[in-house]
Amino acid sequence: MLRVRLHGRGGQGIKTASQILGSAAFLAGHQAQDFPLYGAERRGAPIVAFARIDDAPILERGPIAIPDLLLIGDDTLLEDPQVAPACGADEWTTIFINTEQEALKLKDRLSLPGLPVVCSLGPLTRKHLGDPRILSVSLAAAGGRLSGRVSLDHLNEAIDIELGALGLDRQTLKKNQDLAAEVFAALSPAVFEERQEKPLVAGQLKVLEQQEVAQAAPLITATGNMQERKTGNWRVQHPVIDYGECNNCLICYARCPEGVIAADAEGKPVIDYDHCKGCLICAQECPRHAIRTLWERESHEQR
Amino acid sequence: MNNGKRRMLTGNKAAAWGARRAGIEYVPAFPITPQTEIVETLAQWFADGSLKGRFTNMDSEHSMFMAAGAAAATGVRVFTASSSQGILYGLESLYTVTGWRVPFVMVNVSRALATPITLEPDHNDVMSTRDCGLVQLHAETCQEVLDFVLMGYKIAEHSQVSLPVLVNMDGFVLSFSREPVLIPDEKEARQFLPSFEPAQPVFNATAPLARASAVFGGGTYMYFRIQQDLAARHAETVFNETAKEFGERFGRFYEPVERFQTDDADLVFVMSNSFATKGKAAVQKLRRQGIKAGLLKISLFRPFPAEAVASALMGREKVAVIDQNLSPGVGGITYPEIVTALYGRPGAPKKILSVIGGLGGKDIRENEFMTVVDKLNDPEEKGPVYLYDEKDWAQFQALAKIARAEKGGP
Repeated sequence: MLRVRLHGRGGQGIKTASQILGSAAFLAGHQAQDFPLYGAERRGAPIVAFARIDDAPILERGPIAIPDLLLIGDDTLLEDPQVAPACGADEWTTIFINTEQEALKLKDRLSLPGLPVVCSLGPLTRKHLGDPRILSVSLAAAGGRLSGRVSLDHLNEAIDIELGALGLDRQTLKKNQDLAAEVFAALSPAVFEERQEKPLVAGQLKVLEQQEVAQAAPLITATGNMQERKTGNWRVQHPVIDYGECNNCLICYARCPEGVIAADAEGKPVIDYDHCKGCLICAQECPRHAIRTLWERESHEQR
Repeated sequence: MNNGKRRMLTGNKAAAWGARRAGIEYVPAFPITPQTEIVETLAQWFADGSLKGRFTNMDSEHSMFMAAGAAAATGVRVFTASSSQGILYGLESLYTVTGWRVPFVMVNVSRALATPITLEPDHNDVMSTRDCGLVQLHAETCQEVLDFVLMGYKIAEHSQVSLPVLVNMDGFVLSFSREPVLIPDEKEARQFLPSFEPAQPVFNATAPLARASAVFGGGTYMYFRIQQDLAARHAETVFNETAKEFGERFGRFYEPVERFQTDDADLVFVMSNSFATKGKAAVQKLRRQGIKAGLLKISLFRPFPAEAVASALMGREKVAVIDQNLSPGVGGITYPEIVTALYGRPGAPKKILSVIGGLGGKDIRENEFMTVVDKLNDPEEKGPVYLYDEKDWAQFQALAKIARAEKGGP
């Protein structure tokens, strides 16, 4: 069985990528399963999706802890401890990263179990679709090619089915298929060895004792703990205050729906980037247009 | 046979296709969370003309189930769906409409109940509807979801049943997961399931009738309740007839319980819904390790197929009933039902262990099936066994530390 895990952000088409891959495998005559996993977050928040491909009936369900093929669509997630996209990857895992960074440097810096396959999908995606951030087809094509289980024809048919269902016209479908062909040609199939079956081993269970109700009820006594949840990793764009233009009117502070803009001792607005979700309402509301927006990738490079 | 199309479908889409192939005429739907993609899909089909009939947004699941029952009482084919807190909110209406003895099909996407709040699956929601008088079919795969919706109408509308049918699927694990599903050909589906012919008088403007009769003194009340029980019990026979006809037509054969390698098994896991797939994988691995395991999957949960359960488990040495639900103060809800089915029978298993796992989206990991084997072999272990380990405890403690820290806030 080939177990595929895809990482990216809400809005990049990660779920659709898993569906194109699943459909292509199905059309190629394999057994397939695909599904996304997300909670109550929104666009920009990290999401994960999965696909399983096999020739025998698939008797696994739920998330994949140890992937054979890992497709990381957004390199800004690589060092996010909450996402840990390389988690569970081992020496038998093929890791694909959509990045401009060098494979060897990434392997060393992130202590990856093997040399990742790197390819910058952005320029190819921009060339065909005009927007470098839509990964549904390019990531599916990378996965399909690396898997060695699907042909370009299967992939094209899957694109017709999955993107057609979203209402895309013929011309746009064709552009996506041209993109798929180029990604397909840029990569070659990886080698996957069937993992050796590990025997089932019994574990120790934890026997819970009854505890006092203050402990046993789902009670939160520590207020203000939302700061522990660093929602800054939901951001795809980044507001930056130009203090030369800013007149400290604090409209941004008043309008921020997340309460992550505070006034410092001199009355200047300061953005808490650990928690700013990048909604950019501040930039929209600033009467002096003193708040610029940067793509997250650009700001990562600046920092 | 099998002129249909195979497609990658989520459980939600499979449910919607089942309803579409059943030729549904009316869908009342509460449109807000915890509602699912099922009614979203149906709404699109009614809007674009693929489905003829009427789709009505309702203000709650309470009125939704009432509308479903009332519409079924006019003689149209009705479909609806809910999940989790939603089905609980409609619980009063479910008792009411089963008492009316009107047939329709509903799908429940099983998700755990508050409190604490979660979005993830377990079976306490559907277990709460256990005693309503619904016929219940629990699906392991997306294909079963579609097939059970079609079969569900045939059972519900049978003149000697005339009760609503609930088809259950696990949230996320089936509802969001795609796998290949064969959508039957429309003509073939209609041959299997012709138009709804009501078995009792229907609401009609020119022939008034009352359905929600009040009765006092108990004797009359009890008559109607016993009739409901007899009809629900008869639904097992009708399930078997329907499954036979369905199998002959579509090539997929279903039974009230599925015996997976139980015939020569020393120990058997009893499971239901989508995690039965994981159980089957574990059975195969255990057998490769020399342990003769088997799995009994409960597909028909109401009426409870006690004879089928007993005949599958008699002669087996040890049985673990894995419940993904919890009745506080009792334990697993299906456990006593399995024990009752076996009571007093010769050859009943020596040990029947209650195991509780997979609550609120917690996985049942493959090694945990071996842990259950260990517990079955431990003469001291009386159960219930909770599939909860040190890792789970550590995860809870880490969160508890944040939730109960002395100081917080910015």
